[in-house]
Amino acid sequence: MDLFLQLLANGLVIGTFYALSALGLTLVFGLMRVVNFAHGELYVVGGLLGWALTDLVGLNFFLTLAVVIFCLAVSGYLIDRLLIARVRGQGEEPTILLTIGLSIFLTNTAQLVVGTTPEKVVSPFASKPLFLGSVVITQSRLVLVAISAALIVAVHLLIQRTTLGRSMRATFQDSMAAQLSGIRTAHVYGFTFALGAALAGAAGMLLGSIYVAQANIGNVVSLKAFVVVILGGMGSFAGAIVGGLILGISEAFWGGYMSSGYVDAIGFGLVIAMLLVRPYGLFGKHVERA
Amino acid sequence: MRVVRSLPIGVLGLALAITGAHAQETIKIGVIQPLTGSVAYNGTTDVNGSKLALDQINAKGGVLGKKLELVIEDGQCRPANSVSAAEKLVQRDKVVAISGAFCSSSTLAVMPVAANYKLPLITGVSSSAELTEKGNPWFFRATETDALLAKAFSKILYDQLKLRKVAYIGVNDDFGRGGVAEFEKQMTALGATTVMKEYFEHGTSDFYTLLTKLKSSGADGVFVAAETQDGSIFVKQKAELGLPTKVFGVGSWATPDFIKLTGEASEGIYAAVPYASTMTTPKNKAFVTAYTDRYHEAPGKYSAAGYNTINILAEAIIRAGSTDPEKLRDALGKTDYEGPNGHFQFDSKGQASGFSVVLVQLLKGVPTVAATSTIEP
Repeated sequence: MDLFLQLLANGLVIGTFYALSALGLTLVFGLMRVVNFAHGELYVVGGLLGWALTDLVGLNFFLTLAVVIFCLAVSGYLIDRLLIARVRGQGEEPTILLTIGLSIFLTNTAQLVVGTTPEKVVSPFASKPLFLGSVVITQSRLVLVAISAALIVAVHLLIQRTTLGRSMRATFQDSMAAQLSGIRTAHVYGFTFALGAALAGAAGMLLGSIYVAQANIGNVVSLKAFVVVILGGMGSFAGAIVGGLILGISEAFWGGYMSSGYVDAIGFGLVIAMLLVRPYGLFGKHVERA
Repeated sequence: MRVVRSLPIGVLGLALAITGAHAQETIKIGVIQPLTGSVAYNGTTDVNGSKLALDQINAKGGVLGKKLELVIEDGQCRPANSVSAAEKLVQRDKVVAISGAFCSSSTLAVMPVAANYKLPLITGVSSSAELTEKGNPWFFRATETDALLAKAFSKILYDQLKLRKVAYIGVNDDFGRGGVAEFEKQMTALGATTVMKEYFEHGTSDFYTLLTKLKSSGADGVFVAAETQDGSIFVKQKAELGLPTKVFGVGSWATPDFIKLTGEASEGIYAAVPYASTMTTPKNKAFVTAYTDRYHEAPGKYSAAGYNTINILAEAIIRAGSTDPEKLRDALGKTDYEGPNGHFQFDSKGQASGFSVVLVQLLKGVPTVAATSTIEP
């Protein structure tokens, strides 16, 4: 029973982190129909920036988080306006090639600038064991779960309740109609990508404080994020959360009770099963576009 | 008209002749290491050690009256990329020997290329025992194998650390699986029981599941085969969960970066390494000083590996008196090299012996030598 509870706790925590790191990807795909292969690299940039500011400059953790979100948002906006805007409306392949190119560029630039050494974001929270009954967890993980939940709620409110969010949804539903009713769609696309990039960067920095921030981990992050997004349904918020939790918990139980050597196969097994049964994911909407 | 047409060809020929003459001024050694990918950090420190050796050799006048030059390629620890790198080094750069390719699987893939072009290949890293059993006369290994390491350390683990119920965790590749298999074999022969045996993927960031399982297995010691990134995360998370289990690691565990990443969590863990910067030989003191001056950090296991391989190759070229592949290979076979971590000589299969391996314990961030053992032929 102790083992079960501990594995469940591990799975829930990791699942939340998976959800957080997949959020930006699902948002950009859902609203813009852009499959962002540079998602993991934006995560890496966020992590390395977080490391540089907290470790080298000695900035406060939350101030750094704000700076990371701002910087990544600005970069995301520029990436959309300068790069993605040029291939918009030309089908999916050019955007895929573009983001793959961007991911290679970002990885190698990061390697050139900071090297290949794994680094750590300095966190003010203790990593000493905390006993909740028979379950062990650390303060830093609990805080991160709370911050992740807060970020997810904040972005959800941004999209559902604000004018910008309404413009985003309108642009996605029918960009022509949105444009006719006075929405500057080019800006909306820019802001959407900025939001996706900011989320990726925030995830990279937050998780860099308990794992590592390193120039070449982007593809591993992308891979897990894609699993979460396909499980939950492309573009669905609830889907990313549920997909993340499913992945986290099933990995924990498979690793705990079966063998951890094949734990990565679980995610892909789930994806194959999902594509066979519900190709649009758990929460994916069947969207018929006009 | 004919003159005009042949003029560019003539110029081209001249240019080729000049570059050809220029190429003769240095002796090139190819280096294949992972410079990107999950073990990029370790590959880079190997290259750093290689470059230090190169500059020291050239400062003394090079070899055979010529400067030595390294042509460095990124093999990414992937067999396919390492083979293309080797082809490029042989065909385009005309190297006289290759040092590489870090991961045993990649080295294994490059070995037939070396044999095909009749070119010596030396590794200072790849530890999978089967490499030297392939009967490839062009291959040399200037490091220990999993089996040799297991043989040298199992007794110390059993007698001194009193490990009886042992858990084995390894990275899911030939290095991890090879290390786990050899240590389990030796420990079981001594009378220890195996309570858990698990593998994880390169780049795993969360070990809570494995650690939870380790806790419930009741092991009094855990053997871990992992490189810096994975190993440091494992050790850190083990401390987060407050597990008292003794840790014994193989891989790059005694490096400054490992200690920096793990912080207090590294206190008391044991690591078996073919090299520690705290070894007290005069050769090592000189090496550590030169390395620290240049890179501002103490050398690790792979820095020493890169340093040794380039020195062994350079000495062999001098001994051979030419870069003729056959002569160079025979000269390599007669290697008699004194490195920072002891003496190196090769047997008929190309396996080195005579050098030291050490068991270190990390105490207050310093890899303190707990026991030393020599690799027997």
